[in-house]
Amino acid sequence: MTEISGKTEAFVAAAPVTEITLATRAIAVVAVVGLISGIIAATCGGYWLSNFTQAYCMVLTLLGCALLYGQLGLVSLCQWALVGVGGWVSLRVYHSFHPPFVFTVLAGGLGASVIGMIWGLPALRMRGLYLALVTLMLASAFQTLVVVTSFPVGGPGFLGQVGASGNARVMMARPAFAASDTAYFVFVALITLLGIFLVEAHRRTKPGRAWALIRKDEHMAIAAGVRVVFYKAWAFAVAGFLAGVAGALMAGLFGQLDASAFAPTDSIIVFIGTLLGGYDSWLGSLLGGILTRFVPALLIDFNVNTYLGFMFFGLALLMALRDPLGIGGRLTLLAVRLWVKYEGRRRG
Amino acid sequence: MISIDTLTVRFGGIRALDGLDAQLTAPICGLIGPNGAGKTTLVNVLSGFVRPYSGAVALNGVALSGLSPRRRVGLGLRRTFQQELVVDELTAVENVQAIADHVSATRQSGRREVTVALDFVGLGERRDVLGRQLNLYERRMVEIAKTLIGRPKVILMDEPGAGLNESETDRLRRLLAEIPQAFDTQLVLIDHDAELIASVCIDTLVLDFGKRLALGPTRAVLDDPAVRRAYLGRE
Ligand SMILES: Nc1ncnc2c1ncn2[C@@H]1O[C@H](COP(=O)(O)OP(=O)(O)OP(=O)(O)O)[C@@H](O)[C@H]1O
Ligand SMILES: [Mg+2]
Repeated sequence: MTEISGKTEAFVAAAPVTEITLATRAIAVVAVVGLISGIIAATCGGYWLSNFTQAYCMVLTLLGCALLYGQLGLVSLCQWALVGVGGWVSLRVYHSFHPPFVFTVLAGGLGASVIGMIWGLPALRMRGLYLALVTLMLASAFQTLVVVTSFPVGGPGFLGQVGASGNARVMMARPAFAASDTAYFVFVALITLLGIFLVEAHRRTKPGRAWALIRKDEHMAIAAGVRVVFYKAWAFAVAGFLAGVAGALMAGLFGQLDASAFAPTDSIIVFIGTLLGGYDSWLGSLLGGILTRFVPALLIDFNVNTYLGFMFFGLALLMALRDPLGIGGRLTLLAVRLWVKYEGRRRG
Repeated sequence: MISIDTLTVRFGGIRALDGLDAQLTAPICGLIGPNGAGKTTLVNVLSGFVRPYSGAVALNGVALSGLSPRRRVGLGLRRTFQQELVVDELTAVENVQAIADHVSATRQSGRREVTVALDFVGLGERRDVLGRQLNLYERRMVEIAKTLIGRPKVILMDEPGAGLNESETDRLRRLLAEIPQAFDTQLVLIDHDAELIASVCIDTLVLDFGKRLALGPTRAVLDDPAVRRAYLGRE
């Protein structure tokens, strides 16, 4: 697996990883996400709060993308389209049944998880550039479809459009407990935290070990009794689920979704963000997700030409290619070293 | 017991195995032959990765033909690969646990088996060391431990001693000799080291150009003039 061999080299330096207990790691996750979210919730409102809420949806999407790339070396360029799928399903379910918000979110996650698994089928046969191209075409196909049909807005029929029927557009309501912008942001931050735990739990248990065998050598994995097809599909299901949840949360943020927000380029940006942040640590997805949303928002805020945004992603890609650990991986390495030093000194 | 019945494997024009007939009954069997003789191909056929052109193989009387590799694992077949395949990012214990996840009866019995296997190969103390920090000998030991999980019936080892030095080979030899008794299993051992084969294998099958050159008690086989001419003579 040529794509991720560079990482192995870089991680040789990170020797004492196993000395840190699971509890310490869990506390670190809660502390970092809590701190960043707390600062955002306390200082931001309006435009910036909305952008950070979207950034967390990006984080959820990156978590899935990083799982596919880091655990199996699979390049999926349709993850933002799956956010659209999740958004579509959650809006459809919302307008049909008005279930409690959490169910709406779950429905979006499950819907995108099933579609993600189907879109992942080519990965049973191909990898690398070919898989990247096929998934990118799927993302384009989704965009074409959604531009034609639009997202449901509470109208009649399966597509839920208002148009000729003359019905009024209906917005998806936020849950009562997270009606304000700030409360909704905190809610999304909590879901993001759960998303991180979901991925970490996978990486450290049976599925993570199975993925490690598959990544090392598929024949060896088969000879070890691993159901290779199942575990590959499961990775796509988890990644799709996270994207779908993100889509439902986006729908809840705006009350509706616009087809123009789901271009294939956005799926490419998800992948660049994954590389930039680093695909082997939750911190990478967190920072990568926030950055890929924050920098363009900043450029818009400064009234800078949007093409500069694309230049930013070009630069980010160059940086990411130079350092397979990514920003998150570098920081994790640094934190681990400091922690080991501190512990060593404390114990004498 | 492994039964091989007029087995032929073709890769294009090459006959990697050519009408091979053999019954491997001894608790430890050697499988030797010059480079390209078909040893790995035989292991691939037994484990289900290569489909034979004709002929059949059976494990303890159960016909294996047509079964998926995973089904064969379920029947108790284990194998190693010619190159070692320890995952760098997993610890020694995780590398072995990754097998137990899929072949052990219960989670509890799996954990027990992993501990027993790691202790058996002498890695009990090194269980939490990452794969990338294990030396070649330790990596080979992880590979052996992986085959001992889930009540194996037959273990096929493709050159487990490749790259080891003399004292390490010595340790390996003692370890291999104990496996059939300790784990109630049959062991088939491929190696180019005739000394290793001679000291642990009761019977030995010699392949040359995909054909059976000799099969029988190891000493007699190694002394067979035909074997000396075809195989040992070339060294
Ligand atoms: N997948 C394959 N495709 C084509 N030819 C193959 C394949 N696998 C093996 N062969 C050929 O079949 C013959 C037997 O190869 P095999 O690997 O079984 O030999 P071996 O006895 O294991 O040799 P070595 O001691 O070098 O490991 C060789 O001529 C080899 O080139
Ligand atoms: Mg071989």
